[in-house]
Amino acid sequence: MKRRAILAYLLDHPGVLQKVSMLIRKKMYNVDTLTVCKSRKPGISRMTITLREDDEARVSQVIHQLEKFTEVISAKELDTDHSYWREAAIIKLEIDSTQLEALHSEYKFEILDHKNHDTHIIQIAGSTRKIDAFVAQLGEEHIIEISRTGVAALEK
Amino acid sequence: MTGKERLLRALEKRGVRHIFGYTGGAIMPVFDSMDKLGIFKFVMSRHEQGATFMAQGVSRASLSTDDPQIGVCMATSGPGAMNLTTGIADAHMDSVPMIAVTGQVATGVIATDAFQESDVVGVMMPICKQTYMPLEADEIEKTVHEAFYVATTGRPGPVLLDIPKDVLNQQVSKDYKFSLENLRPNLPGFFYHPTPARAPVKKAIELINRSERPVIFCGHGVIGSNAGKLLQALAEKAKIPVAFTLHGLSAMQADHPLSLGMMGMHGTVEANRAISEADLLISFGMRFDDRVTGKLNEYAQNADVIHVEIDPSEIDKNVATTVAINADVYRTLHVLVGDPMLTAKPRRRWHARIDEFRQVMADDLRKEIKGGLGDEGKLLMKTIVSQLSDMTQGQDIVVPDVGQHQMMAARFYNYQTPNSWFASGGAGTMGASLPMAIGVKLVRPDERVWSISGDGGFQMNMQELGTIMEHKIDVKIVIFNNGYLGMVRQWQTLFFDGRYAGTPMLSPDYGQIASAYGIPYRKIETLDQIAPAIQEAIDLEGAIILEFICDPSEVILPMIPAGGGFDDMIIKRPMPQKKGGKK
Repeated sequence: MKRRAILAYLLDHPGVLQKVSMLIRKKMYNVDTLTVCKSRKPGISRMTITLREDDEARVSQVIHQLEKFTEVISAKELDTDHSYWREAAIIKLEIDSTQLEALHSEYKFEILDHKNHDTHIIQIAGSTRKIDAFVAQLGEEHIIEISRTGVAALEK
Repeated sequence: MTGKERLLRALEKRGVRHIFGYTGGAIMPVFDSMDKLGIFKFVMSRHEQGATFMAQGVSRASLSTDDPQIGVCMATSGPGAMNLTTGIADAHMDSVPMIAVTGQVATGVIATDAFQESDVVGVMMPICKQTYMPLEADEIEKTVHEAFYVATTGRPGPVLLDIPKDVLNQQVSKDYKFSLENLRPNLPGFFYHPTPARAPVKKAIELINRSERPVIFCGHGVIGSNAGKLLQALAEKAKIPVAFTLHGLSAMQADHPLSLGMMGMHGTVEANRAISEADLLISFGMRFDDRVTGKLNEYAQNADVIHVEIDPSEIDKNVATTVAINADVYRTLHVLVGDPMLTAKPRRRWHARIDEFRQVMADDLRKEIKGGLGDEGKLLMKTIVSQLSDMTQGQDIVVPDVGQHQMMAARFYNYQTPNSWFASGGAGTMGASLPMAIGVKLVRPDERVWSISGDGGFQMNMQELGTIMEHKIDVKIVIFNNGYLGMVRQWQTLFFDGRYAGTPMLSPDYGQIASAYGIPYRKIETLDQIAPAIQEAIDLEGAIILEFICDPSEVILPMIPAGGGFDDMIIKRPMPQKKGGKK
C-alpha cells in the first residue's frame, strides 16, 4: 500500500492528541507513525502522520476529519516528490567491532556508547528505507533494543 | 460574582429559558443559584437521559420558530454525567445543537477516583462537537459563549462543559471584565463556508438543465437551515421530484405532487426506483448513510451527484460526487432558485415513469390500510397513523420513537406543517420519543404534539411520565403495543426463519401506570374505537395515553435488506424465508 504523510498544525491544547488518536482508531486508519513537536509559533504544534492507504478518497477523508477538530488549524498531504521524510533510531546492538566498522563505513551512523567489546549503542538518521535497510543488513539477532522516532517531514 | 452565576448569566444571554436536568453533589451550587435568580424554568427529568432528549426537543422544534433556542441539559458528576451519553451521542449523530453542563468533583480531588468522579471529558470527546473543562471562574462565561458558537455554527452538534465544583463556587477575579460584543473566540481552525462558490454552482445548473431523470434529495440540512420553501421552489421551477431522508421529512408538504416520500431502507417504491433510474441526484444537507444508500457499489450507478453540504468531511465520504458544493443549504438554494440559467423542463417521460413506480404498491397499501387488521385480527399501525393523519389534517407535530412504528409514522402521516417531525435517526435511540416530545411541546405550546412509541421504546423512558405529570405537559402519548420489539421481529420474520429470539415482551398494565401518574388513558382494540379515541385526545386539554393493541404480524414494506441494493427491495408479503438473511 502507498505510504502517505499528512502534516497538520494544531493548537497545543490538552486533549488534542487524544482526539487525533481516537479518530485514527474510530475510522480504522492504517497509521504507521505519528510525531508531534512544537512549531515556530508558540502555542501551535506540528504533527506528522504517516499511514498506508491506496485510496485517495480515504486520504482526503483523514484530512477532512482532522480539519473538523476546532483545534486543527490546517492539514494537508505531503507528497514524496516534494518533501523530505526522515526519522532517527537509537539502537543497542551486540556485534563485534570489525563488523560494526564495516557497517559504519556504509551507513555513517554515530556511535554513542561502547558498553563493552561487543555491545554498542548507536544512533542513525535518514529515510525510513535507509533505517530499514540498516536493520535488515545488521540482522535482527544482533539487536538488543531499538527505538525509532517515527517520521518527521518537511516540504522542499 | 461566582463562576456558577457567570454560567447562568451567560446561558440567559444566549436566550436559554428552559434547563432540563437532575441535581447532585457536584452541580448543586448551580441549582442553588438558579433558584435564587429565578430566570429559568427548570424541568427535572426522572433520569438524565430524559433531560438530553428534552433539550434536543427544544433545539429541534424551535429552530423554525421566530425564537430559536438551544436546549440545555445539566447533570451532576459521575453517574449523572454518564447518563447523558446516549442523548449526547444521539444529538451528535443527528447534528442537533445542544449544550450539556456537568458538575465535576473539585479540582483538588480530580484524578483520585473521588466519590462520583468519572472522566467526563474523556468519555464525551468522541460524541461531542467540542468539550470544555474551565479551571478558573474567570473562564466560564467566555467558554459558555464559545460553546454556543461552536454548537450552532456550521454543522451543528452537542457541546459539553464539565466544570469542577470549586470552580463553580469560585469568585471571579476583582478586575474581571467580560463583553460579549468584544468576544472573539480563539478558534483558528474553526471555519465554515456558508456561501457557495460560483464555479460549482454554475456546473450544477448545467447538470440540472441537461438531466433527463433528476431527483432532488431533501436532508436534515434543509430543515436545519429553514430552506424547505426554497427547496420546493427549486423543485417546482425545474420540475424535479423530491425524495426525503428520515430527517428531511416535513420540510415540504408530504402530499405535494413532486414528493416521492421517504427514500432508503423503508422508503417508498417510487423514491427508491426513481433513485435507481436517475441520471442526476441533487442532494441537500444529507450524508448518504447506509440506511439511505444500501449497498454502495450498486447505488444509483448511472447518476451524477451534486452534493450540497456544510460539512466538507461528508462530501465524497460514501458516494463520489460530480459536483461538490460545500456551503449552507439555504444560501445555495437561494442562489440556484434565483439563477436565470436554470431552465424549466417538463420532463414528461420521467414523471410518467415515476407515476408507474407510484402504482407498484399503491393498491396493496390502500387495501391493507382499509382492512386495518393483521393476521391475528389485531389493529394495523398504518391504519392508525393514517386515521390520525386524516383527523388532524396532517397539521400536528409527530415525535416518534425508534422502530417499526417510526417508519409507519414517517410513511403514513401526511406532514403539512414545516418542521413538524422529530425523530432519533442516526443513533436510533429507543426511548427518545417521550422526553423529546416534552421539549418540543415547551417551545411549540400552541401546536398539538403526538409522542408515538412502541411498547419496547415506551418502557425505556416511561419514567418521564413523572415530568409530564409534574409540569402538566400536554403531550398526546400513543403506544403501539404488539407485544414484540416490532422492527427486530420483522427482520426475524424475513431473515431468521421466524425465530423470535429476544423480541417478545410483556407490558405492564398501562392503564394502571397512567392512573398512577394521574393521566387519562384509553385502550383501543377494535377498528371502531380508533377514531373516537383520537378525537378524545384532540379535544382533551392535557396529556392522555392511548394504547393501541397492534398486530405483531404487521410489517413495513417496502424494505431493502441491510447491506442489500435497491434491486433487492422487498415489496410483497408473504416473503420467501431467506436463511440467515444477507450480510
